Amino acid sequence: MRTATLVLVAYFSCVIVGAVWRLMPWAIHDAVPDLGALTAAYLGLTARRNVTPAVGGSVLLGYFVDLISGSPPGLMALVLGLTCVIARAIQQRIYVRGTTMAIAFSAFVALVAGLVAFIVRGSYHVATASMAVELRNLALVAVATGAVGPIVWRMFRRIDAAYARTARERDAALEGLAP
Amino acid sequence: MTLHRRLVDWSLAGLLVLLPALVLKASLARGTASGMDTAFLRITAPLEAGVSWVVEGVGGLWNHYVWLVGVESENRELRDENDKLRKQLAATTRKAFDVEALEDLAVVKRRTPADTMGARVIGAPLSPQFRVIRIRLDRGEGDVAPGMPVITGTGPVGRVDRVYGGYADVTLMSDVSSSIEVLIPRTGGRGMLTGLGKPDSYACTIGWLEKQANPTSKVEIGDEIVTSGLGASFPPGLVVGKVSKISRDDGMFQRVEVEPAVDVSRVRAVEVLLAPPPPPDPDAKTKKRSEPAFGGKPL
Repeated sequence: MRTATLVLVAYFSCVIVGAVWRLMPWAIHDAVPDLGALTAAYLGLTARRNVTPAVGGSVLLGYFVDLISGSPPGLMALVLGLTCVIARAIQQRIYVRGTTMAIAFSAFVALVAGLVAFIVRGSYHVATASMAVELRNLALVAVATGAVGPIVWRMFRRIDAAYARTARERDAALEGLAP
Repeated sequence: MTLHRRLVDWSLAGLLVLLPALVLKASLARGTASGMDTAFLRITAPLEAGVSWVVEGVGGLWNHYVWLVGVESENRELRDENDKLRKQLAATTRKAFDVEALEDLAVVKRRTPADTMGARVIGAPLSPQFRVIRIRLDRGEGDVAPGMPVITGTGPVGRVDRVYGGYADVTLMSDVSSSIEVLIPRTGGRGMLTGLGKPDSYACTIGWLEKQANPTSKVEIGDEIVTSGLGASFPPGLVVGKVSKISRDDGMFQRVEVEPAVDVSRVRAVEVLLAPPPPPDPDAKTKKRSEPAFGGKPL
């Protein structure tokens, strides 16, 4: 239920970002925050004993993102699934707490997801832009994701806190301690 | 968590990652959206449209009522540009109007056998008592004389009244002192067209219009009136106007009001007829032997 809520909230956030971002002035509309990657990373980082729900949620969200963004169905699903697995793998080694850490980790997640997406596209022979354009887009997306990271992180923690069974779990969720 | 459960968990996770890989491969091979994609899009598209509508509404409010940075300078630039374009449009319209008038004059000149001189109208009638326009002659000063008829492509305008240098005053045919010999082609009736001097129109009148013996030749409203050519001023056949009102009918004569064909308020250029057209050649239809160009005549 928690995972479903996170995925639904992330999906609505993606829809809102998709509608809002094209109205942004200057070059900001090129720098779209990768909310899907953030969600997948959050699901992977906060995965409890079973990793399947987190990966499943990430894949489902990726599929929705594919439908919103018009990318080939399965591309973002695969990317977000892999991002979730990577986040799960570093779960024991990283602790995201504080605004600076949230910004840095969000930008890092965007970079990793962008890199994975680039590799997947390359391996499936999906057309890519020139390396300069890809790097510029990757940098812009990383910056934008880093900028919105703390808000998204706080929102997800609030959702986690709402699903807490005890006060201790609630406090832990708000603090960002992995369950 | 036992190792077995962990293995199952990771295997399921691996399968879940493998699934989109297969979906991606299939979708790239297919190239079009699958039935499931279409179904999902049908469900989610209205939601996206709704969100987009709300966001655009809020964005519109923001852009139109709050975020007005640069609007003032943009307004100023647009206003300047608008002024410039208005001036250009006015100049172009004026030129088009002049060109149209000149084209009209060229047609008149081609159709009129008499010698003519073009002139531009430079002054409109200001006095309610005297229906006069002032014209600037295109060439020469001595060629134009008082009494010469002035016409446009649509019909006669009036007569030259005074000439001073390259300018002349033209008494319009709607002036009370104006008189032109006219004819109604349908009935054959003749009369003298004089101006009414009305302040609100250029209407004229024919005071004593001859009625023909045939009762069907009675003048009716809408009858066309042309110059008769008598008086050797206006060439015959120029359309003067149409009968707009029959104000008197007393057996032998009728009194009618005439609406001129020429809208004097819009006339920008006119032609002054310098000389009456040459009289028709009575021997035009008889064959004549031409004189030898050189040498003497045979005895």
